Amino acid sequence: MAVAKTQADWELLARRSRRDRRIKQGLLIAFLTLVTIPVVVPFFWIFVISISARTGGVESEVLWRACAILVPTVFAYGAAHTVFRRARQRIYAAVILVLLAVVGLAFSVGDDLHLYNYRFMVNPNLVEELRGAATAGGQFPWVWVAFVNSLFVAATSMALKVTVATLAGYYLSRFAFRGRSQFLQGLLILEVFHPWMLTIPIFLVIFWIGLLNTLAGPILVLTAIDLPFFIFIMKGFFDAVPWDIEMSAMTDGASRRQAFRMVVLPQVRGGIIAIAVLGFIKGWEEYVFVTALRTGNSYWVMSTYLYYVAEDVMGVDYGVVAAVSVIYIIPSLLLYLFCQKFLTQLTLGGVKG
Amino acid sequence: MANVELRNLTKVWDQVTAVDGINLEIRDGEFLAVLGPSGCGKSTTLFMLAGVYLPSGGDILFDGARVNDVEARSRNVGIVFQSYALYPNMNVLQNIMFPLRFQETRDAAAQAREMAELVQVGELLERRPSQLSGGQQQRVALARALVKQPNLLLLDEPLSNLDATLRLTMRAEIRRITRELAVTTILVTHDQLEATTMADRVVCMNVGRIEQTGTAEDLYLRPDTLFVAGFIGSPPINLIRLQASQRAVLDVPDTAETVGIRPELLHSAETGLPVTVTTVEPMGRETLVTADSDLGPLRFLEATSRPKWSAGDKLHVSFRSQDTIVFDGAGQRMSDLHAAIG
Ligand SMILES: Nc1ncnc2c1ncn2[C@@H]1O[C@H](COP(=O)(O)OP(=O)(O)O)[C@@H](O)[C@H]1O
Ligand SMILES: [Mg+2]
Repeated sequence: MAVAKTQADWELLARRSRRDRRIKQGLLIAFLTLVTIPVVVPFFWIFVISISARTGGVESEVLWRACAILVPTVFAYGAAHTVFRRARQRIYAAVILVLLAVVGLAFSVGDDLHLYNYRFMVNPNLVEELRGAATAGGQFPWVWVAFVNSLFVAATSMALKVTVATLAGYYLSRFAFRGRSQFLQGLLILEVFHPWMLTIPIFLVIFWIGLLNTLAGPILVLTAIDLPFFIFIMKGFFDAVPWDIEMSAMTDGASRRQAFRMVVLPQVRGGIIAIAVLGFIKGWEEYVFVTALRTGNSYWVMSTYLYYVAEDVMGVDYGVVAAVSVIYIIPSLLLYLFCQKFLTQLTLGGVKG
Repeated sequence: MANVELRNLTKVWDQVTAVDGINLEIRDGEFLAVLGPSGCGKSTTLFMLAGVYLPSGGDILFDGARVNDVEARSRNVGIVFQSYALYPNMNVLQNIMFPLRFQETRDAAAQAREMAELVQVGELLERRPSQLSGGQQQRVALARALVKQPNLLLLDEPLSNLDATLRLTMRAEIRRITRELAVTTILVTHDQLEATTMADRVVCMNVGRIEQTGTAEDLYLRPDTLFVAGFIGSPPINLIRLQASQRAVLDVPDTAETVGIRPELLHSAETGLPVTVTTVEPMGRETLVTADSDLGPLRFLEATSRPKWSAGDKLHVSFRSQDTIVFDGAGQRMSDLHAAIG
């Protein structure tokens, strides 16, 4: 009898804890959804404007109608996720909800959507078309010129940052030399000064070495700005690789360089990818130094292009501004999504000092 | 495969002298154990032999030729680290094959597989080191050290991370494999059982110096120094500092400072030194008894599993004079001198 009684108790407890867990999970999902809304809505808004706004005005009516469909959908999925426990059920629920949302959107806002704001992608002479060639003086470039320049700045500075930070981090982690600790302290002190405070001296230096109005200027400056912190991060990653492994590789017949390349480097892969992503996005988003280091319109990158679309050349056409913003965001967003895993490792492995 | 000689080998770090003028010769095919407490410079010595650390002074000779300036990768030395140091980014087969990538080898994979079979990890070739148990990692590290047929195999406390049973098996395994391949081996350990059971010859080190070199029996029965006597043996030897009161009881030469006697060579008797039992510890086959006497506390072993005595009992102990070891003021053994109850 005693045995039967205990069994009944266990079952009750199990049921209760299952129920508690489901309630907790439901609350958690609801909470996370709520705090995500302020982050997601601006992006969504920009996107909606870029495919709905007509020249002249901007209306948010489409946005509200879309939200009226999408918000209930999200909550419905949250509920479905909590109720259904099998992966297959959840997938069915998601598919059905997405189909419903698409149909709903097609009926409610489908007629207002268009791609006219994206015409800058295929039309090299946006300004001339609007105002006549004389006004803009043919200075305003095609978006792809700015896009390729931005890509070039971001990729080149990323390559420089990763190469220098990796090698310097390794050296700082592995070799004892006079002034090593002072050097490390120096790296940290550099982080105290905001680089914008140095804009004028940097301008002068770049002017004197003759790189003003070339893309090499911002590339070098951006590299220098990020290096101290990146070197520090990489040193942390190298510190976490045990000496034994390197020594072992050398007794196995590898030279020091081979040991570095074949054994040590694969173990700091997470750090390298993380600083590569951060470094690329920094270069892609840069506005201050690309503006400061040119006089006139010697080169265009995406940030300056966006600025002139919004402020200077065209008067304001919010539809086009939103469309340019969407195109501008996409590369950073993709990179971020694909490398998320490594960026979260950064906080674990990197900040060891 | 190689005859190794160390001449006056020294390594100085910033503040500490880790290795302090070591002289040692290791014969071809010999299995030598280096025994000593933590921090006495064992690993440093090994790493100098491997070529990872540069000696601060002295010479390392392989087959009579000085190799101080030869790089680690050209010395053809295999080493198993205490942490095993397997490459986490490679699977077991790639780990074992790694040393062969730097040589002209045509059938590297086949050789690696053969070595994996020898250390019995043939089924694990596709796994990553993180998916292996301690004992398996140990075997893989051994295979990787041996696959290039090294002149010299160095083992740095290879068993210290294993549990007791596994340690017993691996001890026998390592001995079997090194015999099979007839490779000159140096085993570093702080575990005296490991040293005495596996090695042909044992070197006992303390604070960077060699205290004594000899067979396990030499070190146990005829320790050259006080340090060796105290370090080797479990339960530890009784060491009696000779002051006036002790000299009144014992018949010893005046120059002697310390007398040692192993616990198993002391036994209870009808006559002899009167003692009072303080603690009794059954240790399986034997019982360890600690007792107070005019000489200070003494430990002795009774060869019975059920204790004959209990705390507070008064009895006599005696020993044979030739079983005692006598040390002078500098801690050196005074050979052919002994102590007796006088
Ligand atoms: N890389 C190093 N730098 C400075 N001191 C070291 C280094 N390696 C070892 N030592 C010192 O040398 C001494 C011997 O160390 P080690 O050879 O590792 O001892 P064991 O292996 O016998 O435990 C210790 O005092 C240790 O602190
Ligand atoms: Mg050690």
